[in-house]
Amino acid sequence: MGRNHDQKSPYGSSLDSLMAAAQAGDRKAYRQFLAEASDRIRAMLVRKTGGDSELEDVLQECLIALHEKRHTLDPGRPVGPWMYAIANYKLIDQWRKRGRSRLVLDDEVDMDVAADSFAGMDIAALLGELPEPQAEAIRMTHIEGMTNREASESIGIGVSAMKLRVHRGMLRLKEIVDEQQK
Amino acid sequence: MTNINTVLDQLASEGAAPQTGSTLRFAAPLLAVLALCAVGVALVLDGAFASMARDGMGPIAVKWSFSVALLTLCGIALLVLGKPGRPSKAAMVAISVPFVPILALLALELSIAGPLFYGETWRECLAAMLVMSPIAFTGAILGARTLAPTNLRRAGLVAGLFGGAVAMTAYAPFCPERGMGYLAVFYLLPILTMAGVGWALGPRLLRW
Repeated sequence: MGRNHDQKSPYGSSLDSLMAAAQAGDRKAYRQFLAEASDRIRAMLVRKTGGDSELEDVLQECLIALHEKRHTLDPGRPVGPWMYAIANYKLIDQWRKRGRSRLVLDDEVDMDVAADSFAGMDIAALLGELPEPQAEAIRMTHIEGMTNREASESIGIGVSAMKLRVHRGMLRLKEIVDEQQK
Repeated sequence: MTNINTVLDQLASEGAAPQTGSTLRFAAPLLAVLALCAVGVALVLDGAFASMARDGMGPIAVKWSFSVALLTLCGIALLVLGKPGRPSKAAMVAISVPFVPILALLALELSIAGPLFYGETWRECLAAMLVMSPIAFTGAILGARTLAPTNLRRAGLVAGLFGGAVAMTAYAPFCPERGMGYLAVFYLLPILTMAGVGWALGPRLLRW
C-alpha cells in the first residue's frame, strides 16, 4: 500500500493547508488532499478492521462522502476531526449494511483448500511465492497448527487481520497451484 | 489501488470550491415549516391572542419564550450535528435549558395550587400538536439531510423537538389555557413524544 502522491506537495503534508488551497480553487491541491486523506483513512480502516476484505470499498465511499459533503467543513476549522468523523460514520454504516459482522471470512474453507489442493507439493516453495506476512500466517496456522488467535497474539496483530492474511494467502496459493497444474 | 486513483482523479476534477448557500439550503425547510404552520393555523382558527385581554401577556410570554427558545436552539443544534467532527454536547445541553424554567414554574404551581392539568380547549391543543409536529419534523429532517449528521439518533431527536416546538409556537396564540400543569401535559408531552419518534426514526430518515 504505497502512497498515491505523484509528486511532492508544495503545501507540505498538512490536510488543512491542502484543503484551504483546494477551497481557493486549486485542483492540484485538492487531488493531493484527497490522496493524503485516502492514506490516512486507509490506515484508520486497517487499524479498526484489521484489514477487512471490503476495505477498499469503504475507502471509496469515504472519499466520495468527503467530496460530496465538503460544504459541511467550516472554513478555518481543522480538517482531521471532520474527515475522521465521516470515515467512522461510513465504516459503521458498512458494518450495519453487512449485518454487523465485522469480517466475512470462512476459516473452514481455508482449511479445506490446504487439505485438498497442496498434497505432495513443495509447500516451502509455494509459500515463497507469497508476500511474507501471508506466508508467515499460513505457516503458523496450517503447518505449526496454531489457532488464529494464538498466531495473531504471537506477532502482535488482531485476530481479524490474521484471518485476512490466511484467507488471502490461501486464495493466492490456490491460484498458483491451479496455474501449475494446467 | 488503480480504482482509488481513478476515484481520486474524478473527484479532484470537480474541484473543492465551496458550495455557496449551504446554510440557506439547511435553514430554508425549517423556516418554511414554521411559516406553513403559522399561516395554516391562522387560516383554520379564529381568535389569536384573544386571551390576552383577560390574562395579559404572561401566559403567551411563557409559552413563546419556551417554544421559540427551544426551536431556535434545536435549529442551531441540528446545524452543529450536521457538521461532522463538531462537538455537539454543548448544543445538546443548551436544548435542555428552556425546560428548566418551565419545570420550575410547574413545581411552583403544584406547590401553591396543586395540579392544574385540565383545560377546556385540550382537544384543539392536542389536535394542533398532533397535526403540526410531524409537518415541522419533516422540515427539520429535510434541512438536516442537506448536511452530514453522523449521530443519527441524536439528530432525529433534535428534529423531533424542533417539530414539537414549531407546533407549539404556531398554536400558542390561539390557546387560552394558562396553567403550567396544562402546558406540561398538552405541550411538553407531545413535544417529548415527537422527540422520541425522531430518535427512533433518525437512523432511517437521516442516513446518507
